[in-house]
Amino acid sequence: MSSNVKYHLSVSSCFARMAIQRQLEYPSFLVSWLLMIPIQYFAGILMLKVIVEKFQALNGWTFPQLAFVYGLGLLSHGLMVVLFIQSWNIGGMVRHGEFDRMLLRPANVFFQFAVMHINFIGLIDLIPGVIIFLYGCDLAGFHLGPINIIKLLLVVVGGALIRGAFFIITGSIAFWTKSSESLVGFSLNLMQRSAMYPLSIYPYIIQMVLTFIIPFGFICFYPACDFLGQNDRIMLPLDFVGWTPLVGGAMFVLANKLFNMGLKNYESSGS
Amino acid sequence: MFAFIYLAKMRILTLLTYRFEVFVAVGSNIIMMFATVFLWKSAYIGIDTVEGLKEQQMVTYSILSVLLSTILSCNVQNIINERVRDGQVAVDLFKPISIFVCYLADDVGRVISSLLNKAFPLLIIGIVFFGVPYPRTTIVFFAFIASCGLSFAISWLLSALVGMMAFWVMELGNMGRVKDAIVGALSGRLVPLWFFPTSFITVSKYLPFQYIYQTPLGMYIGKMSLNEALTAMMIQGIWIIVLLSVCALVWNAAKKRVLTQGG
Repeated sequence: MSSNVKYHLSVSSCFARMAIQRQLEYPSFLVSWLLMIPIQYFAGILMLKVIVEKFQALNGWTFPQLAFVYGLGLLSHGLMVVLFIQSWNIGGMVRHGEFDRMLLRPANVFFQFAVMHINFIGLIDLIPGVIIFLYGCDLAGFHLGPINIIKLLLVVVGGALIRGAFFIITGSIAFWTKSSESLVGFSLNLMQRSAMYPLSIYPYIIQMVLTFIIPFGFICFYPACDFLGQNDRIMLPLDFVGWTPLVGGAMFVLANKLFNMGLKNYESSGS
Repeated sequence: MFAFIYLAKMRILTLLTYRFEVFVAVGSNIIMMFATVFLWKSAYIGIDTVEGLKEQQMVTYSILSVLLSTILSCNVQNIINERVRDGQVAVDLFKPISIFVCYLADDVGRVISSLLNKAFPLLIIGIVFFGVPYPRTTIVFFAFIASCGLSFAISWLLSALVGMMAFWVMELGNMGRVKDAIVGALSGRLVPLWFFPTSFITVSKYLPFQYIYQTPLGMYIGKMSLNEALTAMMIQGIWIIVLLSVCALVWNAAKKRVLTQGG
């Protein structure tokens, strides 16, 4: 058992080292991400501030609470981008026959796929995430005690799992259709709009869909309700902080199953 | 001119073949439209007017802003970057028409196909869910169309300017996306600048970005009088002249740096 874990860890760290070297090859990408990501997200939160100041709290969500949700959403987004960004390119990998190599290696393909690309550039997403989240905590008077930190870690990891699993599921469609990359932008938009803004501003039917069919509400809206004591939402048994890692785990298992089903259908096109 | 129309037509035909991509892009824009409209609707609960604007005007603004964003996505920055990276730009320079005419034709084709397969379906969906987004008056409607044309010119020239940076750095990375992020924040695409603090408004008057989105959209919803609209279009014209001159200067310098790589 322990040698098994050790083996998988050593494979992962080897992959990680190669990934970092690969990404340092083109510094202009690093610079442009470093400029673009903070601009985009700080502008996003500034716009919310402008709206709340000119108008009013959005369905009872004050600016501090909005900043809290926005920041929390950005944290799990950042973690997902670090761990699972390869799932955005399953289509390309299918078309170029890149799974051939993995199938020949003596290790589980899903494991290899999951650890093949640690995208450390994704840490850039975490910079505005941490800043906005801490700012929101401070404004909302949210106390970062040890229990809350453990809860937050569970929520961020669970949220990243929900996001990553969703990308693996949509990416796996490419095993059948050979292409699914255009779904990435679509999913990103959907996630951003449903996770980083309070769900309660949307009509009831959309809230139901984003809770029970595409469970993006659990990425950070429901846990944030719990943390901040907001009650204007669909009620479920159990507290929401517990739901996020549960939903995340379940979706990840589902993603794994679908990925493996797709792999059976893999035709090794390309050369 | 024939060459221009031919290139534009080829682009339209290529884009119309990717049906699935179009479908997903429309879906993506529907999300943006709904999310922005509901954001405004919840901001307006119990409030009648803010800065002289009513809820229906902001809903119209948001719907048209999404339509405009599908049309204004200029690809010239990516084309120049790709062409410089793999050396194809040398081939383009041999063509009997200017490479910028080629790239412009390509983007005009893109605009026309986006109008047909993205903006039009999105407009229908907007009408079904949120009602017809009427312009203030008929004259304003035509001013809006003209102003959108000028917006496209500003947006295209900015994009070309960013693209030409590739001649110096060889690999632009995602500088185009950096520019898009700046435009997204400062053009009033999501939240018009009228709601921002006064100092912000003053500074942005001297930047080209608000003339891309806010000017035509503000006209349409009746935020500006006809005179103000004409003045705004003149400022758009001035920006086009400024950006054209800068582009010409940069291109003259860039031509000397063309380096053919690849095989």
